[in-house]
Amino acid sequence: MNRPLVLLAVTLAALLPAGCGDSGSSGSGGTVDVVMWHGYVDIEGDALAAAAKKFNASHPKIHVKLQNYGNADNALQKVLTGIRGGSYPDIAYLYGSWAANIAESPKTVDLKPLIDADSSIDWEDFWPAERGAVTVGDKIIGVPALVDNLALVYNKQLFQAAGVAEPTADWTWDDFRSAAKALTDASQKQFGWAYVADASEDTVWRFDALLWQAGGDILTADGSQAAFNSDAGVKAATLLQQMATVDKSVYLDNGSGNYANLFNSGKIAMLFTGPWDLSGFPDVEYGVQVLPADQNHQTISGPDQWVLFDNGSERRDAAWEFLKWFTSSEQAMAFSLATGDLPIRASQTDLPDYPKYVAKYPGIDMFVKNQANAEKARPVLATYNEISQAMGQALQAVLLGKAEPKQALDQAAQQVDQILSQGS
Amino acid sequence: MSSRAARSENVAGWLFVLPAAALIGLFGIVPIGWSLLLSFQHNDLLAAPQWIGLDNYRQLADDPVFRDSIRRTLVYTALFVPLSVFGALGIALLLDAKIRFIRFYRLAVFVPVATSTVATGIIFNWLLEPTYGIANYLAGKVGLGPYGFLQDPDQALYAIVAMTVWGWLGFDVIIYLAALQGIPEELVEAARLDGAGRFRIFRHVVLPLLSPATLFLIVWSTINALQVFDEIYVTTLGGPLQATTVLVYYLFDQAFHLFHGGYAAAIAYVLFLMTLVVSLVQLWLGNRTVHYSS
Repeated sequence: MNRPLVLLAVTLAALLPAGCGDSGSSGSGGTVDVVMWHGYVDIEGDALAAAAKKFNASHPKIHVKLQNYGNADNALQKVLTGIRGGSYPDIAYLYGSWAANIAESPKTVDLKPLIDADSSIDWEDFWPAERGAVTVGDKIIGVPALVDNLALVYNKQLFQAAGVAEPTADWTWDDFRSAAKALTDASQKQFGWAYVADASEDTVWRFDALLWQAGGDILTADGSQAAFNSDAGVKAATLLQQMATVDKSVYLDNGSGNYANLFNSGKIAMLFTGPWDLSGFPDVEYGVQVLPADQNHQTISGPDQWVLFDNGSERRDAAWEFLKWFTSSEQAMAFSLATGDLPIRASQTDLPDYPKYVAKYPGIDMFVKNQANAEKARPVLATYNEISQAMGQALQAVLLGKAEPKQALDQAAQQVDQILSQGS
Repeated sequence: MSSRAARSENVAGWLFVLPAAALIGLFGIVPIGWSLLLSFQHNDLLAAPQWIGLDNYRQLADDPVFRDSIRRTLVYTALFVPLSVFGALGIALLLDAKIRFIRFYRLAVFVPVATSTVATGIIFNWLLEPTYGIANYLAGKVGLGPYGFLQDPDQALYAIVAMTVWGWLGFDVIIYLAALQGIPEELVEAARLDGAGRFRIFRHVVLPLLSPATLFLIVWSTINALQVFDEIYVTTLGGPLQATTVLVYYLFDQAFHLFHGGYAAAIAYVLFLMTLVVSLVQLWLGNRTVHYSS
């Protein structure tokens, strides 16, 4: 309850990078400084630092300065605080779900004209889900920084011990549900599947994949109304309900991320998760498969982006120069090889380093293939967080057995319709 | 004292308080004024703000989540304050004794206060984890449970009460211990000579002399309880099913998840008025009953 201290710390944390950002003006001797905010640490931090060093060495006129802003969850707040204070970075790593909010800021550089004017960037080489996530109306507000998708990650030993056949690319929801049930053993506190039930976007996006698999969508095609309470949505939510409350084959994670530790301890047989979790599973022999299908095997992709902010044309041009270089196929491949991140460009799979990358990170090739199943994107709207919250509450109620799927989704849809009609 | 000396002393005095006053002004007064302005705006902290007068406050009046969050805040406060203050009184009386290892016991009671909230939250998340947590394991041993605790909408708020009482009890105990040691021995002795038993000494001598400490703790704990946030942020994030969405959590959610800056500022002002009224009532009641020994 130490509120004054917490608030002070938050304020200082928000102000600190802003304060440091002052030094980003044109340096002496004709070099232009580019200030880049990011939240990368450990291996990723080292890989980014190496890339900046390499760029600075080969581009004497530009000097890229990296500044870590801490947890990326709070990055938008920090950038906004910086913009308010008149001191903000040239480039910042920001989550894909913020695209519509970012587009509202007058300091955000619209990259559309720059991309149109420069064929060397080869924009079409980025995955469709990535391009969709940074396109807001007729603007392009960022360059893809990271892409991932959800696949089925399973513990091979548990399947063997229970005598259940391992998942295949032809698995259906029914196969999945009955396997989860067979892999659940209450006496051993072992679960077939885990689901994050904290009502956050973590709860919602896994449901989105199920919704799309059943042929549904989040909003109507014109984006004016909720569509997730369709028959497809009810079918997807019913699957969650039946597994969580009838089969009791699902470990409900309260958002603390316990599911990853439990999977690594052999207490959970299957997860819907992405490549970022794989390094947390050193103790189990895991396999990766595409998600089970209802009508199709669609997955969901959560791309993040590098956003350019306008600090005058000189710094903007220098920042753009760096971003083009950093997200080129060769440099992106070097980054993937160092960090295990998925390729952000399709052409990376043709590079000589790609087989090394696949060999270094077991299971990663299935995630790369699965990127083709990321056909749809979440709506890019400034009100998306409100939509997500309404859906999250409904899904949490269903998972906890406190509401029927149809009733819960209808109620959330009503809230979403109201949000959409009001605007942000 | 000559007026010149007084003036230079004045200046020196102002210089001494200047650093503190500047900090309080910058981080205290300025935000208070700014958030009042904010509460009359539609402000997503991104685009240019729009003046909308009292619309935020009108919208609050019709917001069922806001009403529920006030109800939960009051329930939480009504449980937290008596449990922590009177629980602390009992423990302080026990610890105000000359027994072996008394310093160890006092330290043990105070340790939770010195523990960071984040650490407390993570520990309780594990202790109270429904499937693998030790709390349900122990409950199972005596044939109870399993309970959902923080993950059951009907229990989460009470679990938060238990967790925060545990975390803050030590602070109240220290205050009471200091107050107990400030009670003059001769008053207790005089009462004993007049034939008062232990209970009557406690009731008519000790308790009245503790009343300033009690008043302070009640007012202070109430203000804290009305603004409870950290413990909820690190455990339940306002859930499940908004069961622990208290006022400050709702404010935070509106401001920093949904970017409704103006609306959140309006919530902050309602909370401010609530706190002010409750504190004034408590102080007024307190001043009629508290004994200050001279």
